[in-house]
Amino acid sequence: MGKGIPSYTDEEFVAAIRRDDDRALAQLYRLHFPMISHYVLQNSGTEDEAKDVYQEGVMVFYEKVRDGSLELSCQIKTYLYAVCRRLWLKRLTEKTRFDGRLDDHEPFLETGAEADLELAEERDRQLGTMAQALDLIGEPCRSLLEGFYLLDKSMQQLTAEFGYTNADNAKNQKYKCLVRLKKLFFTQYQELT
Amino acid sequence: MKTEADYYALFEAYRAGKLAEAERSALEHRLAADPELARRLREFEDLTGTLTAYGRRLALRRRLQAIHADMEANVPLEAPAAGPAPRLPLAKVAEEDERREQFAAGRAPRPMLRISRTEEKLRAFWQSHRATMMVAAAVAVLAVFATLLGLEMYRTAQKPSLYGYTVLRREVERIKRDQRSMNRTLTQIDATQPGERNNPGKFSGTGFALTADGYLVTSYHVIQGADSLLIENRARQRFRAEPVFTDVAHDLAILQIKDKDFSGFGRLPYAFKRGESDLGEKVYTLGYPREDLVFNDGSLSARSGFEGDTGFYQVSIPVNPGNSGGPLLDDRGNLIGVVSGRQVDVQSAAFATKSSYLMRLVDSLSAAGAGQPYNLPRGNQLSGTSRPQQIRKLQDYVFVVKVYE
Repeated sequence: MGKGIPSYTDEEFVAAIRRDDDRALAQLYRLHFPMISHYVLQNSGTEDEAKDVYQEGVMVFYEKVRDGSLELSCQIKTYLYAVCRRLWLKRLTEKTRFDGRLDDHEPFLETGAEADLELAEERDRQLGTMAQALDLIGEPCRSLLEGFYLLDKSMQQLTAEFGYTNADNAKNQKYKCLVRLKKLFFTQYQELT
Repeated sequence: MKTEADYYALFEAYRAGKLAEAERSALEHRLAADPELARRLREFEDLTGTLTAYGRRLALRRRLQAIHADMEANVPLEAPAAGPAPRLPLAKVAEEDERREQFAAGRAPRPMLRISRTEEKLRAFWQSHRATMMVAAAVAVLAVFATLLGLEMYRTAQKPSLYGYTVLRREVERIKRDQRSMNRTLTQIDATQPGERNNPGKFSGTGFALTADGYLVTSYHVIQGADSLLIENRARQRFRAEPVFTDVAHDLAILQIKDKDFSGFGRLPYAFKRGESDLGEKVYTLGYPREDLVFNDGSLSARSGFEGDTGFYQVSIPVNPGNSGGPLLDDRGNLIGVVSGRQVDVQSAAFATKSSYLMRLVDSLSAAGAGQPYNLPRGNQLSGTSRPQQIRKLQDYVFVVKVYE
C-alpha cells in the first residue's frame, strides 16, 4: 500500500504513536485494515462490522502504546489480527442468528492479545458506566464536566460560556457536579460488578 | 467543617501542584493519618482519571473515524514533513517483508476496492442470505430434475409397450410425393378424379376382409384418432368405413363398410385359424407399405410378442410402415395373425396379433348380438395351391386403410 510514502517499521510505529503522531496512526490504520476486513468478510461479516471491529482493535493497541504498557512479543500485524479475531468471534456468538462458519484453523498464537483484551473489556465497562453516569447527571453539570474534562476547555472559557459571575463560582459548581457524578458512577459501577 | 466539594477543590489543587509547601505537607500528613481521607482522594482520582480517559477515548474514536473516511475517500497520506534519508531503504525492506509474509500466509495482498452503495447493499444481502439462497438453489435444481424424471416416467407409463417398438402405420405425408405424381401420369384413369387424389389422408395401413358382407380387420393403432376412414382396394375403388369395435390391448380394430353401393366382397378364400400355430411355420403377409401391394415372407419365430406378450407372435418378416393391419397367413392359406409392429433394435422382429384373439373377439361380439351377424368364412380355398396362386386369389381381399384426422 501507499506507494511512494515511506513506511515505518514496527518499532518506529510504536515510537511514533507514543509521541501521538497522527500520520503514523493513519498509516498504521491503512496498512492493516485490508487484512481485518478480509477476515471479517470471509466470516460472514459486513464492511461496517469489519470497520467497527478493526477500530476497536486499533483502540486497544493505541491505548496500550500510550499507557506504555504494551509488551509486543510479535509483530503489530499479528497482534492486531489476534485482537480483532477475538473481538469478531465474540460478536459472532452474540449475534442471535449465528450461522456463520469460521475458517478458524489457525494455530493459537501467544500474542498477549487475550490478556490485553480482558483488561480492555474491564476498561470498556468502566467507560460505559461513566457515559451512563454523565447521561444521568443532567444539565448544567453534564456540559460543565464534559467541557472541562472531555473537551479540555479552560475554566475561564467555561465561566464565560455558562454565564457565571466569576471563575470561582464555576469551580465550585464543577466540584459539586463531581461529587454528584461520583455517587452516580460508583453506585452504578458496583451494581455492574 | 469542609464539604466534599471543598475536599475536591483541595485535591485538585494538590494534584495540579498548586498548593503552597506548608499546605501540601499538612495534607500529606492528614492523608497518612486518616484512611477515610485517603479513600476520598483515591475516589477523586479514579473519577477524574476515568473522565479524562473517556474524553480521550471519544477523541480517538473520532480520529479513527476520520482516518477511515479519508481512506475510503482515497485521500493520500501527506508525506512526512522532513523524512530522514535512510528511511526509504528501511521502508522498502519493510514492504518486502510484508510481501513475503503474505506469501507465507497464503494470503494475497488485498487491494482496497471502491464499491458503490448499491453493490455494498447487494454484498451485505448476499453475506446474510447466502446459506438460504444456496438451499433455495439446491431445491430448485432438485425440483427441475424431479419434474423431468417424473415426466419421463409418466410418459413411459402411458405407453409401456411402445418403447423400442414401432407401430407400422404409415405417415402418408412423408412419403415421397413424386411417387404419387408418377402414378398419376402412368394411370390415366385417375385423370377424371383429380380432386380426390389430392387428399391422400394422414396415415395409412393395411386391412383385410373378415366376412363377405363388409366387415374388415385392421390394427387399432392404424385408426387411432381417426375422424374418417376410407378403404381402397387394388382397383382403387373406395369405400367409406366406420370402426365397429376396437381392442387396444391386442391392437385390433373391426371396421364395417357403410357405403350404399357396396355389394359385398364375394366368398373369402381363406379361413381363420382358431388355435395357435407352431414355431418355424412358413408365413407371409400382404400389405400396402407403398402405393402398391407388397408381399413379404418369413417364419414364425416366437410364440410371444414384444416383452413376452402372449397375445402376439413374433415373425421374421421384414415389415415397413404401412404393413400394419395386414393379414398373416401360413403355407396352407390359413389366416393366423394381424401384423402390428416391430422391434426397433432387433433385426427382423415383427409382431402380429394371434388370430385366436381375433376369433375370441368376433365370438364375443356375435354373442352380444349387436349389429349385423358375423358370417365367418368356413372353407379354405388356398390350401394345396402354390403361393403365387394363393396371392392372386388373396389380393382382392387386402385393402389400404386411409385415415383422416
